[in-house]
Amino acid sequence: MKTITMDVAIIGAGGAGLRAALEIAQQHPNLKIALISKVYPMRSHTVAAEGGAAAVTQETDSLEHHFDDTVSGGDWLCEQDVVQYFVENARKELIQLEHWGCPWSRKEDGSVNVRAFGGMKIERTWFAADKSGFHLLHTLFQTSLKYPNIKRFDEHFCLDLIIENETVQGVLLLDIAEGEIKLIQAKSVIMATGGAGRVYRYNTNGGIVTGDGMAIAYRHGVALRDMEFIQYHPTGLPGSGILMTEGCRGEGGILMNKNGYRYLQDYGLGPEVPLGQTKNKYMELGPRDKLSQSFWQEQKKGNVFKGKRGDYIHLDLRHLGEALINERLPFIRELAKAYVGVDPVHEPIPVRPTVHYTMGGIATNNKTATSLSGLFAVGECASVGLHGANRLGSNSLSELVVFGKLAGQEAALYAQEKKHIDIKILEQKAQKIVQRTEDFLHSNGSEKMVDIRQEMGDTMEEGVGIYRTKPSMQKTIDKLHELKKRYKNIKIEDKSSVFNTEFLYAIELGHLLDMALAMAYSAINREESRGSHQRIDGFEKRDDKNYLKHSLAYYQGDDAPEIKYGKVTITRSQPAQRAYGAAGDKKIKEDIK
Amino acid sequence: MNKKTIVIDILRYRPEMDEKPFTQSFEVPYIEDTSILEALQYIKDHLDSTISFRWSCRMAICGSCGLMIDNIPKLGCKAFLRDYYPNKISLEPLANFPIERDLVVVMDDFMQKLESVKPYLIPGDNACMSSGEYQQTPLQMEKYKQFSMCINCGLCYAACPQYGLDNNFIGPAALALLARYDRDSRDAGSAQRMKILNQEEGVWGCTFVGYCSTVCPKKVDPAAAIQLLKVESSKDYLIGLFKPD
Amino acid sequence: MSKRKPYIRKLETNWWLKTGFYTRYMLREGSCIFITLYSLILTWGIFNLSQGESSFNMWLDTLQNPFFIILHLIVLIFALYHSITWFALAPKAIALWVKGTRIEDSVIIATHYAAFAIVTVLCLLIITL
Repeated sequence: MKTITMDVAIIGAGGAGLRAALEIAQQHPNLKIALISKVYPMRSHTVAAEGGAAAVTQETDSLEHHFDDTVSGGDWLCEQDVVQYFVENARKELIQLEHWGCPWSRKEDGSVNVRAFGGMKIERTWFAADKSGFHLLHTLFQTSLKYPNIKRFDEHFCLDLIIENETVQGVLLLDIAEGEIKLIQAKSVIMATGGAGRVYRYNTNGGIVTGDGMAIAYRHGVALRDMEFIQYHPTGLPGSGILMTEGCRGEGGILMNKNGYRYLQDYGLGPEVPLGQTKNKYMELGPRDKLSQSFWQEQKKGNVFKGKRGDYIHLDLRHLGEALINERLPFIRELAKAYVGVDPVHEPIPVRPTVHYTMGGIATNNKTATSLSGLFAVGECASVGLHGANRLGSNSLSELVVFGKLAGQEAALYAQEKKHIDIKILEQKAQKIVQRTEDFLHSNGSEKMVDIRQEMGDTMEEGVGIYRTKPSMQKTIDKLHELKKRYKNIKIEDKSSVFNTEFLYAIELGHLLDMALAMAYSAINREESRGSHQRIDGFEKRDDKNYLKHSLAYYQGDDAPEIKYGKVTITRSQPAQRAYGAAGDKKIKEDIK
Repeated sequence: MNKKTIVIDILRYRPEMDEKPFTQSFEVPYIEDTSILEALQYIKDHLDSTISFRWSCRMAICGSCGLMIDNIPKLGCKAFLRDYYPNKISLEPLANFPIERDLVVVMDDFMQKLESVKPYLIPGDNACMSSGEYQQTPLQMEKYKQFSMCINCGLCYAACPQYGLDNNFIGPAALALLARYDRDSRDAGSAQRMKILNQEEGVWGCTFVGYCSTVCPKKVDPAAAIQLLKVESSKDYLIGLFKPD
Repeated sequence: MSKRKPYIRKLETNWWLKTGFYTRYMLREGSCIFITLYSLILTWGIFNLSQGESSFNMWLDTLQNPFFIILHLIVLIFALYHSITWFALAPKAIALWVKGTRIEDSVIIATHYAAFAIVTVLCLLIITL
């Protein structure tokens, strides 16, 4: 076992991890940073974000508007002090990215352009055509190459945290190519490992989005907050789940059922906005949870298309014209052509809701610190409290940079005040984990990994999907416990050391199962409907009296996680009715009165 | 039931067991919209779990799954069985890279090449965060945008015989990345990067084969980037003749 | 201890026969041999010209030999091949912008052919006049 001494270890080198690393590298050149990723940084799933990043930009806009959109979009489960910090810092961070070279799309005069996005009152989404995440990630990665105090550990898998005196002291890594274990001693650790969307069968996520950081922190007693809130993105390709950005609708794309009818007007998002126009917070520019729920309703009514890749509706971009599609949505055109054989210039794209984002995650305070001393968390793996019960599109890319920077600052401050402890103690701890890892690798199970993975994905879609009932969730929970039992007897054929991906998949599957259980138990305990958590078994309404609070899932080994609740910080926006379309405008008028 | 199948030959190499690579054949169900990547996943899930390959996004943006399909560098997620059926398909790790294991290649040299070209904005004297974003017109952006689309998949290195013959050559993706920053109106680092591209291993290592641009899945056209840099390098040489400093 | 053992595949000497793209590239590069040969023949002619009329006529006579005629044909084919492939690649090295739009590749290629035609006609005029 190799030991390496650093000051701050960052696990995950996507948008949040890179931003944190850059902050420390710039502000604290004396600190040594370990930037750890199980892939190369530019493979991180930030790369697949398409639509853009939100920040108040236009003169007609205001921080209050962005705040209100985010809080109501999150069905009042947001930490309002966090939202306030976020809206105040978002623009500055996007300008910082611009100064690092991010090619944000421009207006003719050379200033940054913004596009409309769902649930946003005024256009405030900065975009780089429809590859915003790709450009953001590559800009951050390339900028990080400037700083010699960022030491990268590419293709290193984090096996565990090393904890002593109830304080994080380092991380244990598996060098995937070498098959060698490395102990990184660090004074503070930032988790930036992304979401856990892969617990579902159909999702927009890359194969690497397996909730590793969440699971590792969770197993050490850190709470996972609001895990029941899973975002279904309304427009993924059927079968593969490949994302068709909300930017399609921001640019004027429409959704139609099999009768060619723009059904969203039947679900509190109307009246219909004429073709070729967009109206913020109306119709296709409603929030993601509402749109995905409307699909489900239409499906029940039999108004959706039936195809060999499953049910779908149409996302029609034809009226936008070839020139606009090529300028603003070139990647969408490329993807639709390659994966469903449809050229959106001439034909509507078949789409359906697919799992996209985990609103919840490792519980942190408003400065990204977790309950475990020395451990910080940021990005999709964390729940800093920005998104509440439903995230607004384009808030997450901004979140990565706003809170990535904050996490960097906080972890650096923490590291500066701490001293490394005796490495021998850590090595002893590490040795136990190495033993555990090797025992797992050399176990002689018989359960097929693919079966467990697919059954998990299917049962999550069935029980903890867009709409939920107690019996369906209970069935899923029972199934998950069965799968977890079978997982202990998993078959790992490959016992080799060099680039053993089967072994990594097995570890990841263990993480996913724990995430699935946390989600399912958090869901079944919330007896109300809020944001992306919708129940149709007598709890159809939001219940602020009993459930205006965060769920907190605590790991209990093989037993059911313990679900507790924490209070929601409310500063200036009292819970009110969430309204979009004409009802939303009516509500604003009433509020003014 | 008479299910259609297709045969996939994979060049395998397990460093702890094999002296040299060998070919292993697999028969997988044929569905026309199955990608090569999905076929590999099928093989790993059902036929041989010890086979290793890189992948993640499934949508041709993360750059992980490059490999040689019938001797042509492609992304596994963006090539489909229907394009080969009923013929046998041959899969090999990306050419010109050392094989780590199976379809996984060693990317260390590629990463070092990317790092070597100063791929970040080197601001001029007028850079100031407080005055907001830099102004950059769509036309100014157009001059480098294409070269900013590289997903670092490495296909162009597998397509470049010059890199295959001498891997000191900086190579297509890294030089395109150099051009991306060089041509950015916000950048003032051309002079620093000129030293890099003037070298023998820089742009002059390129003999304009042009295959890199043909295989590029993102139409980055690294060959064009390099030729434009050659023009810059030549200009720099000529100016240097008259204005020694 | 590392168990890594990266396997390095050497580029085989016949690599350029493996795909048509590489073969065509090598033919383009190989065309320089024939063009060099032709320039040597021309240099030989100029040398003969300096030696007087009879010497120059003898050079002309030699060129009537079927061997030289076939050689000239081969050289012509390679020169044309080189020009065509080179013109096709030319837009990559030229990024010209006029009023906010990049000049189309086809325009650049067409300009090359036009220049080629004009130079050819001029040469023919000089020779025949």
